[in-house]
Amino acid sequence: MAPSQTTYSPSMEKLVKSLKGQTLEASIESFIYLLKRRQVKGDDCADATAHILRQVVAKSKWSDVDQLLSRVQTVGSRLAKAAPHEPIIGNIVRRVMGLIRDEASEDRNADDFGSEAASDIQSLATAIAPPSHSGPPQRPGPVPFRPPPLTSVASFHIAKPKSMFNLLSVVETAESTITAASTPLSQAAPTSIHALRSEVLDGIEEIMDEISQADDQIAGFADIQIFPGDYVLAYLPSRTVERFLVKAAAKRKFTVFLVSLENPNTTTGEAPYAALRKKLSSSGVKTISIASNGLMAYMARINKVVFSARVVYQNGGLLVDSGASVAAQAAKAHSKPVIALGGVYKFCPEDPSDEIAGEAGDSSTYVSYAEGLKLDSLEVENTVADYVPPELVDVYLTNLGPQTRHHLAAIMADHYKPEDVGFSFLSNE
Amino acid sequence: MATEGTSAPAVALTAQADGQAVVAHANAPAPAPADTPQLTPAQLKAKAKAEKAARRAKVKEDKEVVAAAAQSQAADAKSGKGKGRDGAQTSGPQGPGKVGLTHRPSMSGRRPSILIVEKDIRSSIPECFSHLPMAKRIPLSQVHKDVHPAVLSIGQQMSTFAIKDSISRLEATLKAFRKVIESYETPKGNSLSRHFVPHALNPQIEYLTECRPMCFSMGNAIRLLKAKVNSFDIDTPEDEAKEGLLEMIELFINERITLAEFVIARNAAKQIQDGDLVLTYGSHRLVEKTFLRARGDGRSFSVSIIDDPYDRGGQVMATTLRKAGIRVFYSPNLGGLKTHVERATNVILGAEAIFANGSLHAAAGTADIAVAATAASKKVIALCETINFDRERVSVDALTYNEIDPEQNSAESFRLLYDTTRDHYITGVITEFETGSGNSPAQAILALLRKQEDPALN
Repeated sequence: MAPSQTTYSPSMEKLVKSLKGQTLEASIESFIYLLKRRQVKGDDCADATAHILRQVVAKSKWSDVDQLLSRVQTVGSRLAKAAPHEPIIGNIVRRVMGLIRDEASEDRNADDFGSEAASDIQSLATAIAPPSHSGPPQRPGPVPFRPPPLTSVASFHIAKPKSMFNLLSVVETAESTITAASTPLSQAAPTSIHALRSEVLDGIEEIMDEISQADDQIAGFADIQIFPGDYVLAYLPSRTVERFLVKAAAKRKFTVFLVSLENPNTTTGEAPYAALRKKLSSSGVKTISIASNGLMAYMARINKVVFSARVVYQNGGLLVDSGASVAAQAAKAHSKPVIALGGVYKFCPEDPSDEIAGEAGDSSTYVSYAEGLKLDSLEVENTVADYVPPELVDVYLTNLGPQTRHHLAAIMADHYKPEDVGFSFLSNE
Repeated sequence: MATEGTSAPAVALTAQADGQAVVAHANAPAPAPADTPQLTPAQLKAKAKAEKAARRAKVKEDKEVVAAAAQSQAADAKSGKGKGRDGAQTSGPQGPGKVGLTHRPSMSGRRPSILIVEKDIRSSIPECFSHLPMAKRIPLSQVHKDVHPAVLSIGQQMSTFAIKDSISRLEATLKAFRKVIESYETPKGNSLSRHFVPHALNPQIEYLTECRPMCFSMGNAIRLLKAKVNSFDIDTPEDEAKEGLLEMIELFINERITLAEFVIARNAAKQIQDGDLVLTYGSHRLVEKTFLRARGDGRSFSVSIIDDPYDRGGQVMATTLRKAGIRVFYSPNLGGLKTHVERATNVILGAEAIFANGSLHAAAGTADIAVAATAASKKVIALCETINFDRERVSVDALTYNEIDPEQNSAESFRLLYDTTRDHYITGVITEFETGSGNSPAQAILALLRKQEDPALN
């Protein structure tokens, strides 16, 4: 159930592991490094962002909600700027900010019920507290505030009694949030900042759980979407789509057309999606690997097109892997339904950006550098991301079930705070 | 129809053979215990094993037979189309339905060895595409004795895609046929007009069809050639007839290929204005000629080439255009197609053939470009010689007439060579036939053909 169970590329795994040992700044830097080298992509970005923000909440200095918000926002902006091609980072940052706002307002309400005075004192107390409290970023040694997400829940429960003394004794933990979260209203005033911290941490854990479970939840709808005898075109199946297909294969007999953008000249070794094909064929689902860019030729045979969205924009358009828009467009030309898979965390309260959709990639896979002449004279453009306009998408299959374009706004509103929606992480300095 | 019926399930078996071997095994022993309850387990096992072996052998046999049937059927289908048009003229000993029969006796001894190869090749074709033909290499030792050496060589080149596009294949075929005609001698007691087609020409056609399904232009040309042979009187002197045929081929190459190319390039080049960004897909001879012509006319424009990463013909064309001083944007795949199309001023596509309903038969991916361009309200111009027009076949999807790429035919990959672009995605077709603007809507193709071909037939 923990997010760390999901499969990362090696470098990503290393990053997540190193999070607890490193200072906050070091973790952020190494994540930015990975982002810039594009060693973290897509869903992993979302997860890693959540991890980093969790560190921000846990490790950085903050004495009130606004400080925390601005910290999260600053770090979020840095991450988003490091990877402008991954709007999903902004989604997670917004989600976390929304979460903080929620928890804070809950706290304030609680305070309102109690005494105004107490909260004043508390804010005073917390204003003094943090400096000594948040020394750890500089502190060496592997055990700062927060043990890794998976350590035993029991470890710190003993250190629970709430007092001023306890507050200053450094070892408030993420685990203790479990008790804290369950009784937010009964919190004593002085521990409020702790409570807030632990609740926010808790909330981030939830977001991480959501990310890690989204694929499974989406796959849960597979047998509703896929019927026996279907011919399903899976365009560059991502983890999400793979799981979706495998789940459907458990219940239905259908045929999968796999489209990979694999460069034919470099695929001498491992065939693309060999593992997926094996899994599918073991449950009796036939796969046909299409070695083609143009998909109109096959569309007459195909019943539905499935691919995963990198991001769902607020207008219903999608940011997708290069070429998926060709699949969607071919499906439209043949009036075949297009199912876009993606967890709610991929919903991005922004308008689509042309720059991101036109993102250019490495052209050396297609044009050999050995042919220098050719390279000199040609302007090679290898686009690696595409935009799918909303009118080409029929179903948005999320972890909350299948949605239509008209319902997206409501989902956006449920997940993001209006204050954060208008905020652009890229433009803001 | 009979072959059709039996072929479908058997090919299904072939397709499943590797994937579902386990299932087959599980089923095989199952009936044994029911039949022979008195046997010991060991006996049962042995019996089941024997049965399984027999079953496998039978399946294998069936597959071979069916593969043969499918193959010759596919060949029939293709060659039949070419021939069907002259109706009675060709329904002699080599009529479409009898191709397989007439072919077999001469090579009955070697046939099985081909079939084993065939089975292996075709077994990886998914069931739902098993109706489509695929080019294949035929070992020289298994070729019919009547096949002319010139034809033999182009057949090999076609099966390996060394000669690839429709017009090159047509030209190569005609030139090879010229050699066939030159070396033809009418046997005593026969007339060229009665003997040439069934005994000299048809074996060549069959062989070429077997190497790779004929393209429409070849079908059209062969039909006209046969009509010409049949137009000779029974007692036309051989020399005169041969002369007539050679002259016809010469004229044909000049008019329908060389001149057509020139006229189309000239007309299409007029569609390119200064400052245009013309988008095209892959590489096509006519398109390349058009760009070079427009450049030669002094137009300054740039070209955006979207390539097929599995073919990469566009790279070669890009280099050629670049050398001619045209600015080229090269996109190695269909990624970002929308952006590229929106940036372009118009789209010029080369076609392999055009169906009677105005659909374009062109390299796989062309349809995707046309659809995107139509969505972006860009002008889509298709270039095609009239010899590539098909008056009888209608295709609304790409699975009616297509070819499987033999290079990409394995469990890991499957690829169709062509796709079909419906006429509503095409603004106009430029052929060599129209004068003036040179533009005609795709729907007008049929009328155009009637106008042109009627005199030829009468």
